[in-house]
Amino acid sequence: MPLFVSGLNHRTAPVALREQLAVEEDKLRELLRDVQATGVVGEVVIVSTCNRVEVYGVGEVPGEARAVAFRHLCRHRGVDPAALEPALYTHLDGDAVHHAFRVAASLDSMMVGEPQILGQIKDAFALAQSCETVGPMLHTLFTQAFAVAKKVRTETEIGHHAVSVSFAAVELARKIFAELGGKAVLLVGAGNMGELAARHLVEQGAFPIYVANRTWARAHDMARALSGTAVPFDELSTAVATVDIVITCTGASEPVITRDSVQRIMHGRRGRPLFFIDIAVPRDVEATVNTLDDVYCYDIDALKQVVDANLRERVREAQRAEALVEREVVKFRTRLSDVEVIPTIVSLRERLEGIREGEVRKALARLPGASPETRAAMEALSTALVNKILHAPITKLRESSRTGTGRSWTELVHELFGLRSASRKTDGGWGPRV
Amino acid sequence: MHLSVFNLAVVGYVCATGLALAYLIQREEIVYRFASLATLASWALHTVGLVALAIQTGRPPLGSLPESVSTAVWVVVLLDLWIERQYGVKVLGAFVLPVVLVLSLKTIARPTAFAQIGPTLGGAWIWVHIALATVGIAAFVLNFAGALMYILQERQLKGKRPGTFYYRLPALETLDRLTYRTLALGFPFLTVGLVLGAVWAGTAWGSVFAFDPLAMFSFVAWGIYAATLAGRAVAGWHGRRAAYFAVMGFAALVVTLGAGLFLPGRHGS
Repeated sequence: MPLFVSGLNHRTAPVALREQLAVEEDKLRELLRDVQATGVVGEVVIVSTCNRVEVYGVGEVPGEARAVAFRHLCRHRGVDPAALEPALYTHLDGDAVHHAFRVAASLDSMMVGEPQILGQIKDAFALAQSCETVGPMLHTLFTQAFAVAKKVRTETEIGHHAVSVSFAAVELARKIFAELGGKAVLLVGAGNMGELAARHLVEQGAFPIYVANRTWARAHDMARALSGTAVPFDELSTAVATVDIVITCTGASEPVITRDSVQRIMHGRRGRPLFFIDIAVPRDVEATVNTLDDVYCYDIDALKQVVDANLRERVREAQRAEALVEREVVKFRTRLSDVEVIPTIVSLRERLEGIREGEVRKALARLPGASPETRAAMEALSTALVNKILHAPITKLRESSRTGTGRSWTELVHELFGLRSASRKTDGGWGPRV
Repeated sequence: MHLSVFNLAVVGYVCATGLALAYLIQREEIVYRFASLATLASWALHTVGLVALAIQTGRPPLGSLPESVSTAVWVVVLLDLWIERQYGVKVLGAFVLPVVLVLSLKTIARPTAFAQIGPTLGGAWIWVHIALATVGIAAFVLNFAGALMYILQERQLKGKRPGTFYYRLPALETLDRLTYRTLALGFPFLTVGLVLGAVWAGTAWGSVFAFDPLAMFSFVAWGIYAATLAGRAVAGWHGRRAAYFAVMGFAALVVTLGAGLFLPGRHGS
């Protein structure tokens, strides 16, 4: 099968080169049409994100198709093709399938498991479809790549664990509290990271949100931004006593929350856990509060430790995902080789069906008084004949595609049954190569 | 007939335990499915065995201590399967099934001579006593599993070094709730069961304790559970302290059953 993928990504090309090649949607449409107009590439999809520019194509001569695609791309972007050459990789056939699956499953991403890439590929595919540069081969490839990506998401935990400090804090909160819905949050200070963590908690249903700041106006602004309530900084302990999660990120040089104050608070809480997310440096919460029962205090280093552990989990899950992708590639190659012979099977069927219909019509013309039963019997007889005759050649074609001899068999069938190789002319490169 | 079915069920529980532990470490979804399937199949066999035993003896499968423990195991596995589905605590099996296995090895593989409750011991109350105690014990197996998971998860969270348990075990709140609910479920059963046993012992043996090791230890276990429940309900105990008490209570319960199974006494061995 003449399938190829060629391009560059965050590993092979520096950002300076990648940004030069990034193509926006309008230009991409133009580019897709230009590339297809050359006739060298039968089908083409171009993926352009900040971390990769890749051309997926089907062409008789992949080398030439690749060269054409990138020549056009370079011309569009005003880049010297020679500068591009060392950064380019090309994968053919099975390797191209493997690559497509890995990219869609986010195994080839800079941050393995990040979820955006799948959407980006879907967009690229939809764009190519709207430009009518997608044929059956790429259609099969991409729809399967989406299915594999989904399978990787559900069967491995590749995207499960937070890899940013603010998300790690949310994840920890969910390991303490079963449900974040209705958990009260207090944000102390006005650091960006604190606000981000608070936002994530709000997204998970945390409510209500309180904001405390030494400057009342800033507390007020932040509270409005988070749809929360500002509380006076002097009444910090009172506020801490009523909430479940405290995020601190002040610029104070001394802890604003001491072990003694927390110990006093905990007496009245009847075991309601209290979770401190201390993002400030120097720290806002005395580290020893963590020794109190039902109090969990994570400072920035502890959160980073969780992120590191999560990253190790991701690597582990990525290994499982790789194995899954390999299995899917093997399965898919079988299907794709079927796709190689399917146009021949279809035209063979059409040919015989055409003969059948014609002959039945002629016979019925000679039998004007034929009863509906006779007509039905003739239809059934002819259909059965065609199916019986087709059975062996179709089985053989399917088998041959799996053993890699599909091409010579499709040629033979075309010769024997006088089939036109119309499919090749209309969609260029797709179908049997006679 | 029921003996071979029981043995098959035990073999099934061994497989299920292995798979459940493998799932805890490996975290392959497929392993969980197999573990679930093995548990369900073994439980079905166990059911068949208990029914066959009941038909053969013409009475509930609670006639001797090993039989009752076997029935308790049956209830435990049923609850385990239900909680796994209901609460999505997929790792529960890894904590419950080893206990099931320990309880099964002595009781299912060799259910000793049945019909130990002789004519003198007759009466409906004795069956109610056994049935209630059985359900109570089953609830406390799950209580123990919940407490153990709580202790492990709490340690991970306090230690700030996430490991297998951090990723696998549910939230502390969920585990604390599970521990509380199983305690609240098991305690009334155990209490009424024990009271009936004591009253009955008083009339049949002439003394409430009658030097029966199981009866004596069971009151120790009951005392621990009573203290935990009182602490939870009145003094706001929860979390780690409640979990430690649950583990202690279960240890006492295991000693109780061990005493009943291995020491000579009126509960028979």
